[in-house]
Amino acid sequence: MSTDKFAPQTEAAKIGRRHFLKGTAAGAAALAVTPAAQAQNPSAFAASYSAPSYQQIQRDTGLLEAPNPERSVVRPGSDLMVQVLKDMGVEFVASNNGSSFEGIQESIANYGAPPNQMPEYITALHEESSVDMANGYGKAEGRPMAAMLHGTIGIQHASMAIYQAFYSGTPMILIVGRDDGFIQAHTANDMAALCRSFTKWDAQPKTLPECLEALQEAYRQAVTPPTGPTVVVIDMELQKEEARDVVVPPFRPAVIEGIDVATARDIAQQLLAANNPRLATGAFRTPEGVAAAVELAELIGASASTSATQGPMGFPQRHPLCGPGADTAYDYVLGLEANSPQLSLQRPSVAALTATRDTAGIGFGGLRANAPAEGRGAARPQQGTTLSIDAQASIPAIIGEVSRLMTPEQRRLIDERKARHAQANQEARMSALRDAIEDKKKGWDLSPVSTARIYAELWPLIMNEDWCLASPSSFSSSHHMQLWDHNKPYSYLGGQGAGGMGYGLGACTGAALAARARGRIVINVQTDGDFNYAPGSVWTAVHHQLPMLTVMHNNRAWHQEFMFIQYMAGVRGRGTDRGNIGTTLRDPFINYAKLAEGYGMKAEGPIDDPTQLAAALQRGIDTVKGGEPYLIDVLTQPR
Amino acid sequence: MRAIMNKISKTILSLTLTSAAATLAAQEPSAVNGDASAGAQTYYVYGCYGCHGYSGYGRKDLNNTGSAILASEDVFRAFMRGRADVAPLLPVTDMPNYPANSLSDAQVSDLYAYIRSMPKDVPETGDIETFQKILQAAERPYQP
Repeated sequence: MSTDKFAPQTEAAKIGRRHFLKGTAAGAAALAVTPAAQAQNPSAFAASYSAPSYQQIQRDTGLLEAPNPERSVVRPGSDLMVQVLKDMGVEFVASNNGSSFEGIQESIANYGAPPNQMPEYITALHEESSVDMANGYGKAEGRPMAAMLHGTIGIQHASMAIYQAFYSGTPMILIVGRDDGFIQAHTANDMAALCRSFTKWDAQPKTLPECLEALQEAYRQAVTPPTGPTVVVIDMELQKEEARDVVVPPFRPAVIEGIDVATARDIAQQLLAANNPRLATGAFRTPEGVAAAVELAELIGASASTSATQGPMGFPQRHPLCGPGADTAYDYVLGLEANSPQLSLQRPSVAALTATRDTAGIGFGGLRANAPAEGRGAARPQQGTTLSIDAQASIPAIIGEVSRLMTPEQRRLIDERKARHAQANQEARMSALRDAIEDKKKGWDLSPVSTARIYAELWPLIMNEDWCLASPSSFSSSHHMQLWDHNKPYSYLGGQGAGGMGYGLGACTGAALAARARGRIVINVQTDGDFNYAPGSVWTAVHHQLPMLTVMHNNRAWHQEFMFIQYMAGVRGRGTDRGNIGTTLRDPFINYAKLAEGYGMKAEGPIDDPTQLAAALQRGIDTVKGGEPYLIDVLTQPR
Repeated sequence: MRAIMNKISKTILSLTLTSAAATLAAQEPSAVNGDASAGAQTYYVYGCYGCHGYSGYGRKDLNNTGSAILASEDVFRAFMRGRADVAPLLPVTDMPNYPANSLSDAQVSDLYAYIRSMPKDVPETGDIETFQKILQAAERPYQP
């Protein structure tokens, strides 16, 4: 803050002021001239009056401090901050406006050639949406995008989405503006304290060089296990200051440790000695981890389990080695981010941070290793030996040792085993698919539309596309798990993280940001209850031309709660005829097609005739492949 | 303790229903005494569709399941009353209990009639083009 308003004025300024007042008096007289007189003698009018600038008036009436020459920056600090984001490959910054980060927002808009690319500013209509977008993007790509939040109030709007991203271990960078010289209710001494318990790391740098380092460290911390959201609180003064000769430091990527060579050799020997080895696989950090797991499975001819139907970064579901294999009597199971009765390599989760980061004492029951054995989110008991280390970073060393130790005879046996596994897994797949279809076809032609029919009709339309199912599917009965093939790291992005509603639309929008430049389409089977928390992402999807097909699972209720209330009434013997109170979306029904159209999105529906569904989905897919989002409102069975 | 009590009450209820169903098993399809259209209204108002779907297909199918619970109106009524009369206040399943003061015998009778009237809708797989496409695609070799 300048103190010029209260400082003694210089002699030059006083003279200037006197001259100005004199001119003003003359000008006032001139202003009394009628328009007709001006028209008769315009040159005389112009000569008699030189209008003061707005700034001159303000300064001379003491309403505003004089411009501080130091503010006339040519190299603002926020330009350097944006350069750091560019260097790290941060594609997007999603944000809803806030005066505490105007410097960075302006730099994103104007700095760089071309400006507003890498990162591109993504306009969110709610801070929760912006963080959900970062969550969807992070899950799909395994690397961070950024969300920018206004001081105090923006963080609090975003806090539920941050909490869920923390539960999911999604890497993201949260940039929080802080402006101590403006609205005091929007600043805080320790801004990150509002979300410290459910973020991995935070910093509030004091200088511009510290700030640039902090942004880089935030990226490294976000992607290093345990992965999760990180926070950098950036003062407005740092954003506005003249950078002068400050240099952007080169970005050093994170170094993520894997197992040592001796351990890798021991694992390799076990895998090669086994007659029927198996890989139990979970979610890897990035697509590169998935590729490494596939390479290892193919090298040793092991059958593999997958988590691909549960969430991102899983082993390809239709890979010939994925499945139970030809023989389920496995004699050595290597767990890669999954439990094994012998040895598991599992990176630490954010639960490991609770002791040091959970200043609010939340406890994170769903993350605790010693969580109760009953209840949702209960921890599964560990089997065998678990090494707390990143599997993805460990696999290359195992591959190296296996390749070095493998004999030609072992290679021949492995090739035979792979062929047996491939045949058995295909037979298992076809059998499971036929069984699933027997279940999915129930009520096929009845109205309202069955949720199974939505997923079934979608699959032939997208199976030859590069697709990503970004919406949580449990409330629509997860029919894709049995019907679709989840072969890409981003095929299915899993659930909300902590079961919080309002996540789906924002997360799908974020996944669609990732999809847009990659020729991919995003499928969003959108529950109606979830939609209504933050529907503004519909506008964001239109505004940024995102390839997202939204199919409303419109059961006109928060249906899980509906059933819970019915159960409670039933236990109490009071009947279930009032279970709809507070749990249903009736009187009036919501028309989602009209709502979407109001936001500018092409839409149709509501559809309650199942025979109309496939054609509508085809229109939706065609539109999305053309680069525009689309919404189809479908009246559905409850689940 | 709660888990043990649940198990006991579940066993009692199961035995009661099994006995009733066994008595009726050899008989012809039982009579329907209620009003199906009134039952449809009750089915909606009481939110039965929540778990069983609007047409008897849902998380818990009612439609053409061959369930012993639907063997007769008497067995169905015994099931609806089961927890209230046999093991009150102990949740045996996710199914709410319906004592007579919350759902009358006449309403149960109507519900039973509606459930029995539900149209079967399980087409042959070969008649659904969508599933044929899905099965054919699954036969194709894996493409990374």
